[in-house]
Amino acid sequence: MIDLLSNTVALSRLQFALTAIFHMLWPVLTTGMGIYLVVMEGLWLKTKNIDYYHHARFWSKLYLLNFGIGVASGLPMAFQFGLNWAPFSESVGDFLGTILGFESTMAFMLEASFLGIMLFGWDRVPPLIHWLATMLVAFGANLSTFWILSANSWLQTPAGGEFVKGKFVVQNYFEAIANPFMFKSFLHMFFATLETSLFVIGGISAWYLINKRNTAFFTKSLKVILAVALIVAPMQIFIGHLSAEQVYHYQPTKLAAMEGQWETVPAGVSADWSVLALPNDKAEQNDWEIKIPGALSYILEFKPSLDTPIKGLKDWPASDRPHMVGLIYYSFRIMVGIGLFLAGLMFITVVQWLRGKLSVETIAQQKWLLRAWIFAAPLGYLAVESGWIVRCVGRQPWIVYGELRTVESASNLPPGEILFSLTGITILYVVLFIGALYFGSKIIRKGPNLELSPPQLKGSQTIHEPNSRPVSINN
Amino acid sequence: MDNLEPLQPLQEFLPQVWFFILGLFLFLYVLLDGFDLGVGILSLTAKNEERRSILMTSLGNVWDANETWLVLMGGSLFGAFPLAYATILNALYIPAVVMVVGLILRAVSFEFRENADRKLVWNVAFGVGSFLAALGQGFALGSVFEGISVDAQGHFSGSMWDWLTWRSVIVALTLIQAYVLIGSTYLIMKTTGEIQKTHYKTATIATWTTLAGAIFITVSTPIFSEQIRDHLLTAPLIYIFGIIPILGILLISLLLKSLIKKEENTPIIWTFLIFCLSFIGLGFIIFPKIIPPSITIYQAAAAPSSLVFMLTFIGFLIPIMLSYNIYNYVVFRGKIS
Repeated sequence: MIDLLSNTVALSRLQFALTAIFHMLWPVLTTGMGIYLVVMEGLWLKTKNIDYYHHARFWSKLYLLNFGIGVASGLPMAFQFGLNWAPFSESVGDFLGTILGFESTMAFMLEASFLGIMLFGWDRVPPLIHWLATMLVAFGANLSTFWILSANSWLQTPAGGEFVKGKFVVQNYFEAIANPFMFKSFLHMFFATLETSLFVIGGISAWYLINKRNTAFFTKSLKVILAVALIVAPMQIFIGHLSAEQVYHYQPTKLAAMEGQWETVPAGVSADWSVLALPNDKAEQNDWEIKIPGALSYILEFKPSLDTPIKGLKDWPASDRPHMVGLIYYSFRIMVGIGLFLAGLMFITVVQWLRGKLSVETIAQQKWLLRAWIFAAPLGYLAVESGWIVRCVGRQPWIVYGELRTVESASNLPPGEILFSLTGITILYVVLFIGALYFGSKIIRKGPNLELSPPQLKGSQTIHEPNSRPVSINN
Repeated sequence: MDNLEPLQPLQEFLPQVWFFILGLFLFLYVLLDGFDLGVGILSLTAKNEERRSILMTSLGNVWDANETWLVLMGGSLFGAFPLAYATILNALYIPAVVMVVGLILRAVSFEFRENADRKLVWNVAFGVGSFLAALGQGFALGSVFEGISVDAQGHFSGSMWDWLTWRSVIVALTLIQAYVLIGSTYLIMKTTGEIQKTHYKTATIATWTTLAGAIFITVSTPIFSEQIRDHLLTAPLIYIFGIIPILGILLISLLLKSLIKKEENTPIIWTFLIFCLSFIGLGFIIFPKIIPPSITIYQAAAAPSSLVFMLTFIGFLIPIMLSYNIYNYVVFRGKIS
C-alpha cells in the first residue's frame, strides 16, 4: 500500500483506469440508445402513431441524464494524456493527437450542437429537421466510437510508420488509422453499445410490464428491441470470436493470459481449454483448474490439432508479459458468459413471442422471463468493462504493444499531486454515480407522460419558457 | 528527408496556421463558455428559485456545445503541438484538475437539478463549479505572463506550485470579472424586467473591475517580465501595443454608454469586441512562442505531414462547425419569459 502511494506510474495507471472505467458507463448507453431514438422517431413520422412519439420523449429523459454525465466524465480523459502521460503524448502525439483532434471536431461538436435541437427543439423546428438532428446526434456518437477504437487499436497493433529514437514517425496515415485491429474492434464495440442499450431498454420495459404499468406501451418497446436484438446478439458473439482470433495472431502474450496458458502448446497437438482456474502469478501456474480436452484447438482454429503453436506465458521473461493474469482470465470469461446469456435470453423470448405469449393481455404472466430481462439490464455494462480490462490490462507491460513501455510513458509528477487529483475525482465520481442511480430511478418510477401532445411548430414566436426542457419530471 | 530544403517555408507556415487555428478555438471557447461560466457565477447571487431557473434555462441548449470548444482545443493541441500539450498540462496540473472538477460539477448540475426536488443543492454546485472552472483557467492565463520553466528538451522543470504567485491571483480574478461581464451582457440580451435590470447593474460593476484588472496586467507585465518587455518594445509591435489600449478605452466607453442607455443587444457586442481585442493583444505577446517564454511553435510542432493531414480535415470542418453552431443559436434566439 505504501509502495502504491509513492509510485507515480502505479498512481497514474490507477487514475486512468478509474476515469476510463467510469466514463465508459455513460457513452455506452447514449451511443446505442441514440440509434433506438432515431428508430422510434422514424416510426412515429411514418405511422403517425403517437405512442412512438411518447417513446422518443420518454427515453430521451434517460438519454439526457446519461449524456450530461458522459460529457462531464469525459473531460478528464481529454486532458489526462498530457497531465499524467507527458512522455507518451510527446512520443505518439503526431498520430494519436491527430486522431483525438478528429474525434472532437468531427464527432463531439456535431453531437453537442444538435443535442440542443434534439432535446429542446421539438416546437422550434419542423419534424423532419428534428429527425435529422436526432440522426446527427446518433451519428456523431458512433463516429466517436470509430475514432476511439481506431486510436486504441493502434496502441494494440501499431502500423503506418515507425518509432525513431522513441518518437513515432507517421509514414502513412490511412494505414495507421486502418491498423490491423481497427475494423473488427470497431464492430465489436459498435455492437456492444447497441446490445447494452437494447438490454437496458428491455430491462426497464420489463420492470413496467411486471408491475402492470402502461402494458401496451412497453410491450411495444420490448418488441422493437427484440427485433433488433435478434440480429445484434448473435452477431456480437461472432464478431467477438473474430476479435479473439486476431489477438491470437497479433498479441500472443494477451491470448496466453486470457486462457491461463503458462506452457506452450506446440503445433500439431490438440490444446485443452481451461474453463475455470486459479492462475498464480508468482508460481507461474494455475493452482487449480477444470479443462475440456482438445477444446481450445477447436475454438481458435476449428481443427482437432493446432497449425500455429499457442505460446505459453513462460516463453517470455516476466518483464515482457502481462501480470494480474487472474484478472484478465476472469474478465474474459465474464464477458463471454454475458454475451452467451444475453443471446440465450433473446432466443427464449423470441420463441415465446412466436408462441403468442407476448400479447398485451398475457405478457405480464411471463414473470420469470421478465425477471430475467430486469436481471440482464446491467449485464451489458459489465461485459463492456470486462472486455476493456482484457484489452488494456492484457496489453501490458506495453502502452504501445511491442514498442513503448507503460513505465517509460508516465509524467514524472510528485505522487502527492496525483493523489490530489485521484482523491478529488474519486469523491466526485461517487457523487455522480449515486446521483445518476437516484435520478435515473426517479425518472423511471415517474414513467412516461402519455398526455404530451405532439409538437406544434411555434413559427415566428421566439419566447422559450423556463423549465420547458423535456427532462423536467414535474411537467 | 533528402528534400528538406524546399520544405523550409512550409515548416514555418504550417505551425503558424495551427497557432492561428488553436487561437481561434480558444477564442471561441473563451467567448462562448465565457458567458456560460459568467452566468453560472452570477447564479450564486440570484435571490430566488425562479431567477435561478431562468438563468439555467438560458444555457440549457448551448452549454454543451460551448464546452466542446475546449475539448476541440485540447485534442488539436495534442495533435499539432504534442510537446506543448504535455509540458503545459504538466506545469498546470493543479489548475487543470481544478478546472476539470469545476466543469464536471456544473455539467451534471444541469441534469440533476432538472430531476431534483431540492434544487438548491444543484444550483450551488452549478455556481461553485462555474467559479472553479473560471479560477483554473485564470491561473492558466496567469502562467502565460509568468512563464513556464522548461529544460533543454522543453520538458517541464519547475515545481507543482509555480503557477501560484500574487500576480497570477490578480490575473485569475480579472478573468473571472471578465466572465461575469460577458455573462451579464448575455443575460441583458436574453431576459426582460427585473432580472434584466439586475444585470445592467452587474454588467456596469464588472466593466469597472475588469478594466482595473486589465490596466494592472497591461502595466505590470512589461515591468515584471524582461522578456515580454524586450519583445514589446521593438517595432512593429510597439505600434500595435500603442493602438490596443486606445481601442480598448474606446470600446469600454461605448460599452458603458450602451449600458447607461439600457440598450439590449449592443452591450454583448461591445463585450465581444473587447474580448477580441484582448485576445489579439495576447496573441502578439505570445507569438511565436507556444510555451512562454522559451519554446516556439516551430520547436513544439508535430511533423509537417501530421500538420498537413490534420489541416486537410479539420480546416475543412471549421466552417461547417461554425455554421451549425450558428444555426443552433438562430433556432433558440429570442427572450426567455
